[in-house]
Amino acid sequence: MTQHGSPPSGSHHDEDVLGKAYDARLMKRIYRYLLPHRRLVVLSGLFLVLVSAAQLAQPWLIKQAIDGPIASGDAAALVPIVTLFAVLLLAEFGFRFGQIYYLEKTGQSIVHDLRVELYAHLQSLSSAFFDRNPVGRLVTRVTTDVETLSEIFSSGLVTLMGDAVKLIGILVILVWMDVRLAALTLMVLPLLGFVAFFFRIRIRDAFRAVRERIARLNAYLQEHLTGMAVVQLFQRERADDEEFDTINKSHRDADLSSVFYDSIFSAIIELVGTLSVAMIIWYGGGRVLASAITFGTLVAFLEYAQKFFGPIKELGSYYSVMQSAMASAERVFALLDARPEITSPAAPRSWPAPQRGASGEVIFEDVHFAYPQGPEVLRGLSFRIRPGEKVALVGSTGAGKTTVVKLLVRLYDIQRGSIRIDGVDIRELDPRELRRRIGLVLQDHFLFSGTVASNIGLGDPVVTRDRIEAAAGAVRADLFIRELPGGFDGEVVERGANFSVGQKQLLSFARALAFDPPILVLDEATASVDSQTEMRIQMALSALLAGRTSLVIAHRLSTIRESDRILLLHKGAVREEGTHEEMLGRPGGLYETLYRLQFQPLVEASLPADLPS
Amino acid sequence: MSRRPDARPLSLIRESFRLHRARYVWGFLLLALTNLLALSIPRLLKHAVEALETKDTRALLLLSLTIVAVALAQALVRTASRLAILGASRRVACELRGRLFSHLQRLPLSWYSRRPIGDITSRAINDMILVRSFFGPGMMNLLNTTLVYVTALTMMFSMDARLTLYALIPYPLFMVAVNRLSRRVFAHSMAVQEQLGRLSSRAQENIAGISLIKTYAREPEETKAWEDLSRGYLRHTLALVRARGAMVPLMGIMASAGTLVVVGLGGRAVIDGRISLGDFVAFNAYLGYLTWPTFAFGWILNTFQRGVAALRRIGEILAEPAEDREPPSDGLDAEPLRGAISLRDLTFTHPGAPAGTDQLRKVTFELPAGATLGILGTVGSGKTTLVSLLPRILAPPPGSVFIDGRDVTGIPLSRLRHDIGFVPQESFLFSRSIRQNIAFAPRPFSEDQVERAAEASRLSKDLPLFPRGLDTIVGERGFTLSGGQRQRAAIARALVTDPPILILDDALSSLDAQVEHEVIENFKREKARRTILMVSNRVAALSWADLILVLDGGAVIEQGTHEELMRAGGLYAAIARRQSLEATLEEAS
Repeated sequence: MTQHGSPPSGSHHDEDVLGKAYDARLMKRIYRYLLPHRRLVVLSGLFLVLVSAAQLAQPWLIKQAIDGPIASGDAAALVPIVTLFAVLLLAEFGFRFGQIYYLEKTGQSIVHDLRVELYAHLQSLSSAFFDRNPVGRLVTRVTTDVETLSEIFSSGLVTLMGDAVKLIGILVILVWMDVRLAALTLMVLPLLGFVAFFFRIRIRDAFRAVRERIARLNAYLQEHLTGMAVVQLFQRERADDEEFDTINKSHRDADLSSVFYDSIFSAIIELVGTLSVAMIIWYGGGRVLASAITFGTLVAFLEYAQKFFGPIKELGSYYSVMQSAMASAERVFALLDARPEITSPAAPRSWPAPQRGASGEVIFEDVHFAYPQGPEVLRGLSFRIRPGEKVALVGSTGAGKTTVVKLLVRLYDIQRGSIRIDGVDIRELDPRELRRRIGLVLQDHFLFSGTVASNIGLGDPVVTRDRIEAAAGAVRADLFIRELPGGFDGEVVERGANFSVGQKQLLSFARALAFDPPILVLDEATASVDSQTEMRIQMALSALLAGRTSLVIAHRLSTIRESDRILLLHKGAVREEGTHEEMLGRPGGLYETLYRLQFQPLVEASLPADLPS
Repeated sequence: MSRRPDARPLSLIRESFRLHRARYVWGFLLLALTNLLALSIPRLLKHAVEALETKDTRALLLLSLTIVAVALAQALVRTASRLAILGASRRVACELRGRLFSHLQRLPLSWYSRRPIGDITSRAINDMILVRSFFGPGMMNLLNTTLVYVTALTMMFSMDARLTLYALIPYPLFMVAVNRLSRRVFAHSMAVQEQLGRLSSRAQENIAGISLIKTYAREPEETKAWEDLSRGYLRHTLALVRARGAMVPLMGIMASAGTLVVVGLGGRAVIDGRISLGDFVAFNAYLGYLTWPTFAFGWILNTFQRGVAALRRIGEILAEPAEDREPPSDGLDAEPLRGAISLRDLTFTHPGAPAGTDQLRKVTFELPAGATLGILGTVGSGKTTLVSLLPRILAPPPGSVFIDGRDVTGIPLSRLRHDIGFVPQESFLFSRSIRQNIAFAPRPFSEDQVERAAEASRLSKDLPLFPRGLDTIVGERGFTLSGGQRQRAAIARALVTDPPILILDDALSSLDAQVEHEVIENFKREKARRTILMVSNRVAALSWADLILVLDGGAVIEQGTHEELMRAGGLYAAIARRQSLEATLEEAS
């Protein structure tokens, strides 16, 4: 029998599952970011000491009041003490504000540096990296993870340093006031240490179990909500109720055990605190009676003892904050360690100087290429585009047409062969310089949120407003741009959702033209548009291609007809080439078949062209 | 549709309290006791000081021992009360989550199309944490604050009313100040959140458009823009820090300010002989107890607000009417389906879609039990809609879809889905073993049945490639199956139940021609066992069907057998020709 009702046994290790709360290697790395802001760190440390001093002076003042004016019945002498107390309170307020502000400022400045560095690093990574990593995950890295990391500073270091200074201060004062009473009071410390050690491990394990099970709950929910249609079609509802119940209850049990240890831990800490109070009263009282200490000292002892145990209670929450901050730091640094696969050579060749009428030659020679972990897409591809020539690239789906374009602008590196522009291997050029010289219009007409003008000029200072408008005019995009509210300054919402497909296409033509590249590469859109838009696009295209070397992945009959030469790509290599007429004249050739498939209507003049092929 | 269940926050709260009444009552009683014990310690202090004044060492020892005893008792009682109240809150969250999931499973599938999965998951996980805080620490601190205030103030007043009033003077002032500051903190946090949102969408857009950015070499400008945004974020955060940085020390000195009053005025009172030195010490200690509950007040309010908001979001889902269905056993009492299908003049529009956007228009056909139907059509022609109406994934209008002559809207849902094997377009598998995925329907399947289903779907062919054969765990965290392997597993999942009706919604699309052929051969071999409805874009997969429908824009434009349709020379024939051209091209080397 196959089992039912048992929860799926897949392992659910999740990103959330945590490791250490302190990792020396990570801290060392974080420390490097701290260095530039060391002045702020010193400043906040200074404030920290002042805060502790102001705080710890208060019980001492009470002691003075009790031993002095109150004991002697001199009400007037109370005034300076009370005044000093008030001043100390104000000082504490001010110092503490300064301390919090400067420490947070340090943390936030570091986080800002890190965020910018991470983002800049992300920009340098290669396309293959972006293929591997989903957008959502990367966004999380540069936002949420960096944010969580900042807790190392704001919650972690602030609390830890603040508490440490305070605890040491109290110890010093206690010993200074009365060594014997101090020794007795501190006798509880080893006990405390033992309790903390014993429970810290249990609390940590309990919280880890809670997180693991929350991750399981999350995964189960996510999966079953996504596959709800299957669940309902197969009537799994009741079986799934039971499965969920098991996971849900195991989470609850972990949760309850964390409550259990947490409650006992805080109760014991409190108990230990009160124990020390009792000891101070009994032993300290005896010392007072023996006139070894004053009554005021006894009261001060009680006050200090209370201040001592407060911070220790908070240790648990501090621990879990640090844990998740460290996990985030780990992920952030892992991203920073990802190396770009496509880099500029150490000494990039400068772009060949344009020679009259002979600029923009493109050569592919015996190019072999496979995507990471994929089959070989290009198998010894060779072709040459002469300067100024208009070449159309055709082929069936999966023939490798788009790959050719991506390789030309070096979004990926080839495995064998060479790609040369004006005689220079593209790997010897700075990739950014290369991409500047090649105008690329992709099928997915991506628009950024911003204005129409910023989408054409992309914020490049070289592309002036005049050039933007001229480019838009040349492809006739200005016709609709001027009708927009705001014209060239009209708003473009995210992904250009407020523009039609045809408009987006014209805008990306204008963009390519505004940069006036010597070589133009275009992946013609397949989406069908109405005939008027179609005509506009054709005219825009001629304007765009005029006077430059071009390579167009053609989907339009007009494009193949007007090109100087057609290359037919089949299974990763050029199989046929020539003009449209020449190639059609070879009956039984691949081109003829392809032409009938891609450029002729399915059923003469009666059917939509968007049939799945 | 059933009536809307009552899931308003208040009734959810009432219900949860009722369920855990004993725990809450017990926990609250213990909490009261804890506070009484805690607040007796300053009184003991007072007596200790007085014993010091009378030099009574015996009393001093006795009092110290009493303090130890009280502290022990308090630790025990506090732990017990926390376990009761916090434990109740954990149980409430667990029950509510279970109820939510159970309800979600019974909502109509159409409901899901309007909801992002992330949003639903967030309600079941994140909102539940807020609910837990409401029922646990929220409730506990509310009671605690009230108790501490009442008892401590009573004690203080009983010692010296005037001093109490003076000592309390700073409190309202601080509360006003904290209140104003927290409003500023809130405003700044909103600004910070907004800026974070901007950062987030900027990153989103940048990464989504990374190839464009690279091809136009815009990386430095993009980084610059990001840096500006990040700097703005830094500015907002620091403004927030300034507001919060004032609040934290303000709370810290609040306690001390009371002490200041006590030292100044209380010291005088001791000198004047109005109160004893013991009162003075005890008074100070009581004041210390008031500090934390005063801070906690704002936190409690916040927890309650967020808890109720979370309950409202959870309640929203719980209030959605579940799909009407009878208990499964009743449904299965109905006569099993044989598989004769007829559609009569079926016109279907998605609920809520504007008029004139019919997904299907006047579709009519008759299919005897045991026959095979092929459906072919353009993108968006209504193929998936058509097959979704049979198991009522989408609700068909009454009087249009019939099985064995019975209107499907009248057939119990459990019977209907029991007898229809469905292979959806997206072959979704769950993170469990392949075996468990095949035996997904909750019925007792033998090993043999599972293996035969794997054989019939030709998944068996690839089993040796999996690390643990049928017991290989698949899914996000497990072994990754190819599209074709997933499709075959989904087919096996439907076949294992040996359904009288089998629906394949473009379920062979990722198989290579050879495997597709083998799967179809297996279908043919058992042809008489079941009625098959098969959506496909490949003529080769449909040609053996007894009847083929060609859909376009929601209407049947051609129908007949393969031979008839080829002779007719319409769309079907054109597609067939094109596909054979494609095959020729593919084979060319």
